[in-house]
Amino acid sequence: MLRYLTQRLLESVAVLFLVSAGTYVLLGLMPGDPIDLMISGNPELTIEDAQRLRAVYGLDQPILDRYFGWLGQALRGEFGYSRHFSQPAVSVLGDAVWVTLSVAAPALLLAFAIAIPLGLLAALRGGWLNRGINLAALISLSLPTFWLAIVLIYLFAVELRWLPAGGMGEGLAGRLEHLILPVSVLSLSIAGVFLRFTRAAAAEILGQDYVRTAKAKGVASVGLMLRHVLPNAALPLITLTGLQLGALFSGTVIVEILFRQLGMGRVLYDAVLGNDFNLALVALLLTTAATLLGNLLADLSHAWLDPRIGLR
Amino acid sequence: MRILLLSLLFASTLALPSARADRLTIGVSQYAASLNHLLEASVAQSYLLGMTTRPLTLYDAEWNLVCGVCKRLPSFENGLAQRRPLAGGGMGVAVTYELKPDLAWDDGTPVTAQDFKLAWEIGGDPAVGALVGEGYRRILEVTVVDDHTITFLNDRVTFNYNASAIIPLPAHLEEAIYRQDPGSYATRTLYDTNPAAPGLAFGPYRIVEARAGSELLLERNPHWSGKQPVFDQVKLVTINNTAALEANLLSGAIDMIAGELGIAVPQALAFERRHGADYRVLFRPSLAYEHIDVNLDRPFVADRRVRQALLYAIDRQAIVDRLFGDKQPVAISNLSPLSANHSDDVPHYPYDPEKAAQLLEEAGWRLDGKQRKNAGGDSLVLTIGTTAGDRTRELVQQVLQSQWRAVGVEVRILNAPARTFFGQEVRERDYGDLALFAWFAAPGSVPRTTLRSSEIPTAENGWAGQNYTGYRNPEVDRLIDELEITIDAEARKVLWADLQRIYMTDLPALPLYWRATAFILPKWLGNVRPTGNLSPTTYWIEDWLRN
Amino acid sequence: MPGSTLALASAEHRKRWRRLLGQPLAVLALVFLGLLALAALLASWAGGDSGQVDLFNALAPSSPQHWLGTDELGRDLLFRLLLGGQVSLAVGLASALGAAVIGTVIGLAAGERGGWIDSLLMRGTDAMIALPLLPILIVLSAIDLTKLGFSAAVAQSENAALIRLVVLVALVGWTTTARLVRAAARETLAQDYVRAARAMGAGPLRILWRHVLPNIVAPLMVATALSVGQVILLESVLSFLGLGLDPGTASWGRMLAGAQDLLWEAPGLALYPGLAIAATVIACNLAGDGLAAAFDPRRSNRRS
Repeated sequence: MLRYLTQRLLESVAVLFLVSAGTYVLLGLMPGDPIDLMISGNPELTIEDAQRLRAVYGLDQPILDRYFGWLGQALRGEFGYSRHFSQPAVSVLGDAVWVTLSVAAPALLLAFAIAIPLGLLAALRGGWLNRGINLAALISLSLPTFWLAIVLIYLFAVELRWLPAGGMGEGLAGRLEHLILPVSVLSLSIAGVFLRFTRAAAAEILGQDYVRTAKAKGVASVGLMLRHVLPNAALPLITLTGLQLGALFSGTVIVEILFRQLGMGRVLYDAVLGNDFNLALVALLLTTAATLLGNLLADLSHAWLDPRIGLR
Repeated sequence: MRILLLSLLFASTLALPSARADRLTIGVSQYAASLNHLLEASVAQSYLLGMTTRPLTLYDAEWNLVCGVCKRLPSFENGLAQRRPLAGGGMGVAVTYELKPDLAWDDGTPVTAQDFKLAWEIGGDPAVGALVGEGYRRILEVTVVDDHTITFLNDRVTFNYNASAIIPLPAHLEEAIYRQDPGSYATRTLYDTNPAAPGLAFGPYRIVEARAGSELLLERNPHWSGKQPVFDQVKLVTINNTAALEANLLSGAIDMIAGELGIAVPQALAFERRHGADYRVLFRPSLAYEHIDVNLDRPFVADRRVRQALLYAIDRQAIVDRLFGDKQPVAISNLSPLSANHSDDVPHYPYDPEKAAQLLEEAGWRLDGKQRKNAGGDSLVLTIGTTAGDRTRELVQQVLQSQWRAVGVEVRILNAPARTFFGQEVRERDYGDLALFAWFAAPGSVPRTTLRSSEIPTAENGWAGQNYTGYRNPEVDRLIDELEITIDAEARKVLWADLQRIYMTDLPALPLYWRATAFILPKWLGNVRPTGNLSPTTYWIEDWLRN
Repeated sequence: MPGSTLALASAEHRKRWRRLLGQPLAVLALVFLGLLALAALLASWAGGDSGQVDLFNALAPSSPQHWLGTDELGRDLLFRLLLGGQVSLAVGLASALGAAVIGTVIGLAAGERGGWIDSLLMRGTDAMIALPLLPILIVLSAIDLTKLGFSAAVAQSENAALIRLVVLVALVGWTTTARLVRAAARETLAQDYVRAARAMGAGPLRILWRHVLPNIVAPLMVATALSVGQVILLESVLSFLGLGLDPGTASWGRMLAGAQDLLWEAPGLALYPGLAIAATVIACNLAGDGLAAAFDPRRSNRRS
């Protein structure tokens, strides 16, 4: 177990390292540099100013030198300064992580709460119910997230005025109120995948001999579900959750932009568009680390729940 | 889906936004990365700083130079400006500004001449890497006469010798931070490490809460001695997405959308049609000169007749009427019609596809099927680029493409994000044939960087200058040099008229229109005066009224 | 021996077709996609000048000339929608096929070689799956092609944005396919007849071609059908973020993103491309489900 854990962690670190190098070089491939953008809006700045600014920000060095310079500092815990937010990159992201978690975690739970019962129901009942639920799931995963978000904003914030159109909110109650719409949109956008997966997994288990036997013996549906189907469907569902974390982060980008949540996705988007190297890099690394960790946790709990699976 | 949308459409439950009595919430589409005015030059920042600070001089809504925090404008007549021979030869000018009395930072410390001197010093320090313009750099020497009087020695006598956009920095707070290590001042300035610290503002408002990238809460500066604004608090909310911006306004989350940083004219027109009864929508043509730079080094467009044909072939009036509700004037020349020096005595280019076709024929482009070809067999295919994601420009681009196609000119659209477009393609003159964007300059400013032949960016000069078209005309160079040093108003008018006539004959760029700004205000908010120039409306926030 | 294999294969083939036709929803989805593709292809031929800008006829309501009305520049909306279908379907198909090719090569290499190559490739695949796709695409779509060594002519050619999008999506979208192919390849390679062929001296490429590839066609088709839908969605999101195609290219995503400013003035501008995207993605999913059920009834076993 320990050996497996060490190996997985080492692998994750290697991936992170590769991603950091890849991203750094890719960001170097982005056209123009931050200084170009800074001076483009100001007709009064001269080329001397630009060169001076480049030297101040160390942008006159070759890209690899800059990467190793960055890496050395990063290993010492210094991740550089975000020009876009005029704060150290770490402190921007320190706040952003919590914002993203406050949107993504409830969204994930809500997606489960929608997907698992409906998925089981569809598998158990079949017929029109099955088809209806499947179609609903398909619609959920076929609607562009931003489209759904804009429609819901207009419905609930503009027309009905039940909920705020966006923002962070003040105090706990305010925060919760401001979370309802973004969390709903995000969970709706991922619930479809979970639902279809649960339904398929449950259907497969229901087709197994031992379940049929149990059914033939007259075990009630609810008992059947709780005793046999759910535990067995839980395993692939956990793996899927790990794999869906990347998609979850992708969804938060849109939701955060539209609902003014200053989370990881919005920060990353602003950083890339504003040529804020330091911030974009750390944000992408952090997001990747989080998904890798999520995957690892999913695999571990998978192994823990299912003793048949040996940890290599 | 459709039923849902339609029912939404007909639902008329729209209530008037009920603002908190004491707070005005303003929606803007961008936020300032840094709140220190030396470290950023953005509209988002100047909008905010308009409430917390004021420059020495500024342009008002009539585009006249007026005092910000000076008592009276210096001039040669009143003796506050004096010509001075410079040590290194040439003639400079010493300009003395008297500060308004009772100016105080919001911690009670008086604003003094020393604060201006510090801003000039930090702004010019290469170690800091400040983003300041010519105005700072042309000052050779600063003399603090007394606490409320300061003299700048400028390195040349120009027509706008008495304008100075310098904004002070609180010496009692920032000087120690700067002296400690100028090289890292940019990351340690109190404006960014603790924007809500008392003592950073001397305007009618001070920042009390800042959420970087998202929200700023301002309240009255208790030490502001000028006219008191109506609102106890002002909240600035950043919403990047324009659809969300509109939704926030309609839901009452924000009271108004700032014109400087708000929604584009077509969207504002649509908003006015639907909600004109509940909101006031103000349009004001601005100094933003939307035009198409032509890369004169490219063979097809190097021919003046082709450029003239391109301009004749566009129905600019129809674009302005149909897309912009006639809110932004067609550009007759490169100087705004609202400017005192605007000249109408220039070649005009009304929509005339036949004239365009004729000019193209003259230039050797014969119609071959639907396309034009020259004697060498080349097809007349051009490229046009602009900032990707700017939906208004992208719409205009498609109209242009279709109107040019009608005269046999095929144009390909190649856009890039603002970062690439300005940061590289335009700056290094690598934009193909045509580039659609806007210049935004102070009223009356001389187009030296954009038209003078010495300002063509090349690899040799490290891409310095903004003459992106590669325009060379000795006569224009001479006019620009003259304009910079001519102070007499009548003589300037003549020079300007010549410059505009040559510009409109040569067409180094194709003028489109003067972009308008659109302000969406609640009916109860009065006396907001859009300026159309670089001065944000917030310079006069103390005049805003609640009806 | 070859003859009998062939006969077996074609019998299996017929069975698969029959199973596919037995699912009305999947058939409906396939017919829908087929008709859509056909209409999109015919549009540019039959459309004439319906795509012309006509500022004096902007935002017109639906009429006999313009069935769905016109857009903000006076162009026929239905025509634009069909042109958009061309682009969106082409991008979806090309990216999905590209991803399928990359995934197949990696999956086959891993499955056939085994050992450290296998574990390296599969660890790489795992890592790739874990990466947050949209943030990475945001970074990737900001790259300057000329700095990658492409000439300015290539970087500025008309379809550069389109090709770039296809390549990007293919480069990040191959993971599912790689896993599927590897599993299928290992399964097939373990079969007795394959071992026999190998013992008789058949080279690895020949074995992959003759025995493994035919067995992975089915899962490959399913995965590709599903990813076409995914790509169409992704394109719309990138367009919304301003990182998609050029404005002259009428993809559904661009139309949808461009419509948000006039949402209430002209809801149709957003409604129809939105519906087109949703319907196409749903159809792709249904078709994928149907293909899966037809080709591999064991694995996609539905309720008994």
